[in-house]
Amino acid sequence: MATTSEQLPVSLESDSKIPWYLQDLPLYLKGFGILTVIYIGLRLYQGAFAVASGLDSSEPAFEQYWMQLFYVELAVIAVFVTSVWGYLWFSRDRNLDQLSPKDEIRRYFTLTMWISIYTFAVYWAGSYFAEQDNSWHQVAIRDTPFTANHIIEFYFNFPLYIILGGSAWLYARTRLPLYAKGISLPLTLAVVGPFMILVSVGFNEWGHTFWFREEFFAAPIHWGFVIGVWFALGVGGILLQAVSRLIELLDMLEEAP
Amino acid sequence: MSVNISKPSFQPYTGEKARISRAFDYLILVLALFLFIGSFHLHFALTVGDWDFWVDWKDRQWWPLVTPLMGITFPAAVQAVLWEKFRLPFGATLCVTALLIGTWVARIFAYHLWNYFPINMVLPATMLPGALVLDVILMLSNSLTVTAIFGGAAFALLFYPSNWPIFGMFHVPVEYGNGQLTVADLFGFEYIRTGMPEYLRIIERGTLRTYGQYATPLSAFCSALLCSLMYTLWWYIGKWFATVRYLNKI
Repeated sequence: MATTSEQLPVSLESDSKIPWYLQDLPLYLKGFGILTVIYIGLRLYQGAFAVASGLDSSEPAFEQYWMQLFYVELAVIAVFVTSVWGYLWFSRDRNLDQLSPKDEIRRYFTLTMWISIYTFAVYWAGSYFAEQDNSWHQVAIRDTPFTANHIIEFYFNFPLYIILGGSAWLYARTRLPLYAKGISLPLTLAVVGPFMILVSVGFNEWGHTFWFREEFFAAPIHWGFVIGVWFALGVGGILLQAVSRLIELLDMLEEAP
Repeated sequence: MSVNISKPSFQPYTGEKARISRAFDYLILVLALFLFIGSFHLHFALTVGDWDFWVDWKDRQWWPLVTPLMGITFPAAVQAVLWEKFRLPFGATLCVTALLIGTWVARIFAYHLWNYFPINMVLPATMLPGALVLDVILMLSNSLTVTAIFGGAAFALLFYPSNWPIFGMFHVPVEYGNGQLTVADLFGFEYIRTGMPEYLRIIERGTLRTYGQYATPLSAFCSALLCSLMYTLWWYIGKWFATVRYLNKI
């Protein structure tokens, strides 16, 4: 039997085993997969080249293996932020007042996926590579703000989670009626607070010009990072906002088996 | 005599609505896991940090004071939301478990497998027994005051005994170069840490150690008092961050 173009979307929809509210689940899982490959790839790169060429910033090999990586990271970050934020803004929904309850529920799920990807990036930046900073600076002399771990932690991981947090904020602002009418305070806190961690890098490196040989992790010079990450607790407020709206939306749906 | 328990006024979701609700729960679980590993671990590493990283920092005076005091913060803030709004009695356990996952992954892959520190030198401490008690006290009492006083104190007082089976063996004395030190000290002297000259190591400073065997209980009870206060402060910080306000402009 021939398949006409009019029939195609219908047959695809009926074959799909993914429920309508989890339509973006495959993209979400791909996002997790891509980020995992990137972070593990960077850790393997450190394992291969940090001891061989990352101990002394005045060596030509440092320029070749580490500063080149830094320039590549900057380019990747610039392209990524422009394309993702540009896409989210230019594809915004201009008819939010006509959004059906089903579509709004689906978009709340997608927003939660965006925030989840954001927290996954926060994990790598705030947990794994952050502690690894201490480990590396106990075996290397930190004679530059661009050490073999900083190049990944400060100048790639931090911008990346900020971009993903900003993407979640933009998604909510451009696709969900409540977030478009008003600016969600907890979502803004949860995105802007951790952004200030990147700004604290300047304070941190300025301080380390005085104590450039020391890596005392609990020192007050690091507390700028700490205050920034407290704002991640704003996710509790985002959850409450989402749950209360989802309850209203579920009441608007008809019962289905 | 029977107790008259009123029936809940809401109807549980069924069918598709129940599946939607359950799917949202699972999404939140994944989100929360990485959120608390990332955020609580960064807070913990940059406030307790060195006392948790290195076995020779785990002393009788500062380690039992600083670790519970900084460790009760996120558990209190998360309990304020999970218990107050959702009646979920595992906020503290969730935070501490997330922290343990983050620290173990980092100690193995960042310290041991990259820079070859012996894993015994960088074992993380545990706050899990204290977190379980904190959650149970909140669940049974349903009271901020009771949980702050008894739960906060228990969180601090349980810290040292629950870690002693892990770290006690590193505190046995050895004679080395005609001086007495512990096995943990020996780790610190033998494995060079370029970023940590000896003057940075904050352990057993002052005269508390001259109190002999009372140094640890004194530190623990001092921590118990401070944890009660810290718990209350962070309960309100958690509530403040969990605002549902929308603003007109920022």
